[in-house]
Amino acid sequence: MLTLNTVNTYYGKFRALWDVTMQVNEKEIVALVGANGAGKTTLLNTISGLLQPESGTINFFSDRIDNIETNKIVEQGISQIPEGGKVFPEMTILENLEMGAYTKEHWKVKDETIEFVYSLFPKLRERKKQLARTLSGGERQMLAVGRGLMSRPKLCTFDEPSYGLSPKLVTEFFDIIVKLREMGTTVLLVEQNVQQTLEIADRAYVMENGRIVSEGKSSDMLKDDHIKKAYLGL
Amino acid sequence: MITTILDILIAGLLMGGIYAIIAVGLSLQYGVARVFNVSHGEFIMLGAFGTWILFTAFGINPLISLVMCAPVLFLLGFYIHKTIFRTLLRSSKIIEIFESKSMLVAFGLMYIIQNIAILVWGSDIKGYSYLNSPVNIAGAVFPANRLVTLLFALLIGAVFYLFLSRTRMGKAIRASAQDPAAAGLMGVNINQVLALCFGFGALMAGFAGTLLSLCFPIKATMGMEYTIIAIIIVTLGGLGSIVGSFIGGFILGIISSLVSYIEPSLTLVAYYVIFILMLLIKPKGIMGK
Repeated sequence: MLTLNTVNTYYGKFRALWDVTMQVNEKEIVALVGANGAGKTTLLNTISGLLQPESGTINFFSDRIDNIETNKIVEQGISQIPEGGKVFPEMTILENLEMGAYTKEHWKVKDETIEFVYSLFPKLRERKKQLARTLSGGERQMLAVGRGLMSRPKLCTFDEPSYGLSPKLVTEFFDIIVKLREMGTTVLLVEQNVQQTLEIADRAYVMENGRIVSEGKSSDMLKDDHIKKAYLGL
Repeated sequence: MITTILDILIAGLLMGGIYAIIAVGLSLQYGVARVFNVSHGEFIMLGAFGTWILFTAFGINPLISLVMCAPVLFLLGFYIHKTIFRTLLRSSKIIEIFESKSMLVAFGLMYIIQNIAILVWGSDIKGYSYLNSPVNIAGAVFPANRLVTLLFALLIGAVFYLFLSRTRMGKAIRASAQDPAAAGLMGVNINQVLALCFGFGALMAGFAGTLLSLCFPIKATMGMEYTIIAIIIVTLGGLGSIVGSFIGGFILGIISSLVSYIEPSLTLVAYYVIFILMLLIKPKGIMGK
């Protein structure tokens, strides 16, 4: 479904991604793990089109998406739930959700999609008229996921959805991710919470210094002592 | 005493309407599009001269010019952003670089537009009279055109507020003001939104220009004064807060009317005192968070 072939991304002269090649298949949960600064967020931003790769190709189904703008990529069916949620603080919860359905096609069916999101997160319905800045960290994260689903994405990329959440909420989020996959959404998940992530993921890529240094079935990685010690801090 | 206070208040509100529109325009350009548009006043001047020409040469009612001049300026602003500022944005690695470069370009625009205006229309004062019969508002007497100005300013403000709060594009503009990267992830075409905001800023300048020409004499170098007023109000209202700018416009209108009642020559001094005090005491403005 998503194929990256020798992708290189730079921040000015600093090379942040080195020949990244990876693949995400339909209805998989793929984990992307590695230390802080390994390039995980850069990789997600390159997929989303917030950053343009210097070389290499990214294909989504049969279309090349490495040279088109973010809004076109969203229309193709990739939705990123950014780090820290990045909800719009001065807009209501309802307006935040509406923004998630911004593309023309999804705007037409936004009321239906909002009902679907409310069924996943009943709390959002209760507070729909509240400004997003009044929400707690966990609620914001919930809103960010809900907003990310408003474009009915085929592929959802999550950037550290559990960051800063209580252990109970973290478990809830992992449940939601599993649920999304059951409903047919493909998931690419960047996480610090390695153990829990590998438990729900089908496959995983390990990143270090902008490179993919290891890949495989997540169940195998959980068994591999070398990988666990060297890269995952487990 | 009470009638004097009422006089001052009413005069302030009448002026405040135009100030509010001017400030909303700059707020869109600086708060959202991040262009510190020091040529804002020149767009106001173009709106004023457009209305004057349409009235004196073709006898067109200024209230009809209101919906003729401003849209033309919208297109001018939109395409200036699409060509010049977008290129600058693309070549600027960080937004601070873009802000400083775009301000220099805006200075250039200011001189270019102003000098072309002087070449075409000369530097003397122009004007026409329209609806200047006296009207009595709660004991205070004003020309009717001042009242018309306020009504249209309120109408423009209300329509624009509804646009921002109710429509898909309006919401995209607000989202982009709060977090452009996140808005991009929603599928908002940021470049288009920025150009629209710059265009809307010019649209507001156009409205303000037409309304100003209704009440006051105009000249090719009139822009600077309004640019400064707009900058002060945007600071007063809170950068990025469009509602704050609208309210700030009326506050400054009342202050200006109060100061000119006491000592007219101190109006600009009072503006700057407010500006400096705001920066020192509440740099985020009255609506800032």
